[in-house]
Amino acid sequence: MVALMPVGNIGRSVPRLESRAKVMGQAEYTHHLRLPGMLYGKIFRSTLPHALIKSVDTSAAKAVEGVFRVVTIDDIRTVIPHPYYGPAFHDQPVLADGKVRFAGEPVAVVLASDPRVAEYAASLITAEYEELPAVLDEVEAATSDICVHDELKPAATFPDLQHLKGRRGTNVALDYRLVRGNVEEAFAAADHVFEHTFRCQQAMHTPMEPFVSIADVRDGRMTLHTASQGPSFVRIEMARLLGWPENRVRVKVPHLGGGFGGKLYIKLEALVTSLSLLVQRPVKISLTMEEQFFMVTKHACTFTIKSGVNNDGKVVARKCRILWNGGAYADIGPRVTQKAGFTSAGPYDIDNVEIESLAVYTNRPPAGALRGFGAPQAAWAYECHTDLIAEALNFDKIEFRRQNLLQEGRPQASGTPVHDAAFEKAMDQVADRLDWHKPFDRGNGRIRRGRGLAVGIKGITSPTTSVAIVNLYGDGSCGLYIGTVDMGQGSDTVMAQIVAEVLGLDAEAVHVIHPDTDVTPYDMGTLGSRSTFHMGTAVRLAAEDVLRKIDDLAKELGLPPNSNLPVSEMLRKKYGMQAGNIIGTGSFIPDYKKPDPETGQTPKATPFWGVGANGAEVEIDTETGEIKIVKLVSVVDAGVAINPRAVRQQVSGAAIMQMGFTMTENMVFRDGQLTNGSLADYKIPSLLDMPEQFVNEYVESRQHSGPFGAKGTGESSTIALSPAIGNAIADAIGVHLTDLPLTQESIFRAIQKKNGTPLPEDDND
Amino acid sequence: MTDARTIRFTLNGAPVSVSVMPHETLIEMLSLRLELKGARESCGQGLCGCCTVYVNGKSVSSCLYLAQLVDGAKVVTIEGINDGAELDPVQQAFIEVGAFQCGFCTPGFIMMARELLDVHPNPTEDEIRHYLIGNLCRCSAYPEIVEAVKLAARRRAAGTTPALAEELSA
Amino acid sequence: MLGFELSEPATLDEAFDLLADGDPGVRPMGGGTALMLMMKAQIFKPERLVSLRNVGGCFDGLRIDADQSHIRIGGMTTFAEIERSPMVLQHLPAVVRTMKTLANIRVRHVASVGGNLAHADPHLDLPPVWMAHAASIRIVSKSGERVIPVEDLFAGYYETTLGDGELIGEVIVPVRPEWTSTYVKVTTRSAHDWPALGIAVSANLQGQRVNDLRLVLSAALDRPTRLDAAENELRGSDLSEAALKRAGEAAVAEADIHSDSRGSAAYKQHLLRVHLSRAMHSLAGA
Repeated sequence: MVALMPVGNIGRSVPRLESRAKVMGQAEYTHHLRLPGMLYGKIFRSTLPHALIKSVDTSAAKAVEGVFRVVTIDDIRTVIPHPYYGPAFHDQPVLADGKVRFAGEPVAVVLASDPRVAEYAASLITAEYEELPAVLDEVEAATSDICVHDELKPAATFPDLQHLKGRRGTNVALDYRLVRGNVEEAFAAADHVFEHTFRCQQAMHTPMEPFVSIADVRDGRMTLHTASQGPSFVRIEMARLLGWPENRVRVKVPHLGGGFGGKLYIKLEALVTSLSLLVQRPVKISLTMEEQFFMVTKHACTFTIKSGVNNDGKVVARKCRILWNGGAYADIGPRVTQKAGFTSAGPYDIDNVEIESLAVYTNRPPAGALRGFGAPQAAWAYECHTDLIAEALNFDKIEFRRQNLLQEGRPQASGTPVHDAAFEKAMDQVADRLDWHKPFDRGNGRIRRGRGLAVGIKGITSPTTSVAIVNLYGDGSCGLYIGTVDMGQGSDTVMAQIVAEVLGLDAEAVHVIHPDTDVTPYDMGTLGSRSTFHMGTAVRLAAEDVLRKIDDLAKELGLPPNSNLPVSEMLRKKYGMQAGNIIGTGSFIPDYKKPDPETGQTPKATPFWGVGANGAEVEIDTETGEIKIVKLVSVVDAGVAINPRAVRQQVSGAAIMQMGFTMTENMVFRDGQLTNGSLADYKIPSLLDMPEQFVNEYVESRQHSGPFGAKGTGESSTIALSPAIGNAIADAIGVHLTDLPLTQESIFRAIQKKNGTPLPEDDND
Repeated sequence: MTDARTIRFTLNGAPVSVSVMPHETLIEMLSLRLELKGARESCGQGLCGCCTVYVNGKSVSSCLYLAQLVDGAKVVTIEGINDGAELDPVQQAFIEVGAFQCGFCTPGFIMMARELLDVHPNPTEDEIRHYLIGNLCRCSAYPEIVEAVKLAARRRAAGTTPALAEELSA
Repeated sequence: MLGFELSEPATLDEAFDLLADGDPGVRPMGGGTALMLMMKAQIFKPERLVSLRNVGGCFDGLRIDADQSHIRIGGMTTFAEIERSPMVLQHLPAVVRTMKTLANIRVRHVASVGGNLAHADPHLDLPPVWMAHAASIRIVSKSGERVIPVEDLFAGYYETTLGDGELIGEVIVPVRPEWTSTYVKVTTRSAHDWPALGIAVSANLQGQRVNDLRLVLSAALDRPTRLDAAENELRGSDLSEAALKRAGEAAVAEADIHSDSRGSAAYKQHLLRVHLSRAMHSLAGA
């Protein structure tokens, strides 16, 4: 029923709508779903990083009692003639096609009604390979003769990636360039020039609900039940693969057990679609935690940054060159390369900027989007670099930043003016929470203490579209139809708050219909902090459309203005009984102007700016390198917080996740083989890793173009967290680490090196 | 392949008999044969706690427990910790504090938190962190989880329902 | 892990019969945690698992001898039972302290003392602690039984000296009121992790003077190992910085430490020196 009193939904910490279901263990996830007659698929994977497949022996697997079928690419091709997919390049085969490009790549699938039978049979498959030399490092791959792909074929699906070109004889998938002013002249004229190189490691999302998809072909239609952050894209891409119209493909997504960018674009969907089409039965593939490491990862990268700085503290020129290790398949790496590339000079007002950002193929598991789209890797370099410059020139670290930070209205490196980006405010709030201006005891014995801060910037993927439908039913109760996936961030609740605010309802009374492409309209994807801004706006527009239609109905019924007759009564008057709907729609796409291909300049690079500042206080045992994060502070610009608690949780959750990527998480390879692909050896943060003092806040601000002044914030606290910790370590031990993760051993080695007693390098590894 | 065996045990207070294979794990039996959704296999190594259930009153990782070994035992899952109408104080505290995001690990945390409060009715921060070390939350709702456990401890100690507690504190 | 037989014999004799054929696919099972992990990873493909949970006898129970000289811990005793035993806390407090960071409580509810020892994974926390406490194990088999020091159980990486059909019936720990013990779990990757080094120390101290001690290093080697040379540097001496330094160097010299994902050899050697010294100081301080 429609509440008569507006209740003030904006700025209210409405508990998640699905709270009760989640604490009772009843929330729906694809993980649990089973369909009648369903087969389970288990994947046989390559053991080599780069090799030609000579033969695959599936005979022993086929002989296992209960095995329905064993499938290789040759079988797939009988139903899908060109079985290659991908959002940027159509480079990824549904199963390895004559060649494997990373150790762990799917080569064959066993189907059985009992998943344990499928698993056992898959373990009996063998393959013969002709091994090829592999290229694993992004710097080497950029110029190597070893090519991961013979030919690169762009997908041309998204407007921001339409400039990708087909190429041969290279591992460079995308070469993004930005030029502003003239860096070389500015370097020559600058009082000081600094250059440093930084590295980030490959890491993984490890959502607690591992990747899972089910495809069900029947009656000439394909239904996918999938743990995906982008159901609309899945439909488009599966329709393309199948050569079917979109209306024959249906994609349904219930709750997600975490996504973090991993469950975007196509993951298992192409495989289960092909398998279901082949066997004409529902097929489910659930990965184990170990297998997740072969699905998609966070880019490793090497970033060389060079700055010209004058004696007065002004940064006059900056040159950035980033090589992104994209792994064997591009996935959305080219967008990461481009998005993180264009903000890689940092949140600073610099007249002369040159950026080169290269997506590079290697023989590692593919890399894609992970909470920040590369912005955290870029910030690791530019914010450590900022401290190094400040230390060398004896500048105050905050004042040096303040002097160079982008102010309202000033053009960012891309030429896009900065609006509603509270860099300085966020930085000052971090400094305040760290008691930056008070005396600080760094210690002079075994235990040394340090503190650091950093400021980050992120552009938002553009242009992207969201469409929403608000439906008032005959009794006036409200359903909201959106393709935004609630993977824990709380979008269902926030979108309900927006509808409720416009319509004068309680957010708790709004029912949010989960993504089902037969029912819910298009959304580009739940990614890159875009939902609150884009879908939030579409939802607001849809709710306003409902208000207009209520007005129209009132006029049609001849009601006096401001009659206050409930909608249910109006519909009853119109239809003579409890019946009918009032359906409002809203669609939103922000202004965008394609960057100049030579210079990357555009007045509309991003619909809003992601802004985060972080601070850390650390304590280091200089005898062992052991580090304790005493205090971790994150302050973001979220615009107006629609749900303050949900915003703080995003800030806090993202900060802990990024702390993992900073301190412990690292995919370790030996001869191209992943050696630590399980939670026993790949260490994500636990309760014992929590900082003693953990501060998560947002500044008072307003995104004037956002719904009720809001903007997205799921990534903001990740951007500059690593350099805040890195700078704190440097403050404690007097030496900067350049490579992530910041392990105890790397800290200890840095201390010993500085003391002139370097620890011997690894001899017997 | 060896044969299935019929085992009898108590599941959430009700007697059940199920035919299971020797290689079946408890989580497989609970989710595939008994269609329970609250316990979930995630890490598969007993590290993340998503598959936590109680066997004879003690928490176990059901992904590392052979199903046939619960023959004759009492098994309790998240589905069995309340009467359906009223939430357990720990569940209620998790909602009030907002101690979850995606919710996938939540039943496991709640099962462990309940047991923690049985062992340490008034737990210190250190006791909470150590007792729950076998539970991982990738959304990292850890600060709220610790808060929720403390809130539930206070509620249990006061022997009050949330509604009553609100009245008392008002 | 398909197609095996799970037996739950009610007597030891039945268990011996079920284990008799010496097939590598036939294994006894305590709590089963480690076996399950190996089976899921397809490292171990069982033919028959023989659960010892109902065999009774010396496998059950946790008791102290009437003369208070030894504590006897049945092979099927779970870690949680040990951790919650007031008797163990009184006489073997270091064992209880070790439990706090050992895996997690669900594992401790299930894992058994005997199974843990028989697994012979060098990263396990308890075996070096038993060794530092000079514990023995009673090994039972169809043909009789024998008692050996825990340190004689380990033959190498995941390898024991147990013969076919031999089972660990109980762990026998001497009560030594004049000794103090500690276990240092050195983690390098995150707070909760398998140890890079496990250092178990038990010492009979008189002020700063070391009358006697047992030093055991685990995790960094293929099996938990007594550090004899380091012990010799400290036995009978005062805990001076010089003696501790000599002991540290002796430990590094005698321990064949290799690099792994938890740290380089050089770093772990360094950690051994530091934590050995700190462990001794903490015992002397306590």
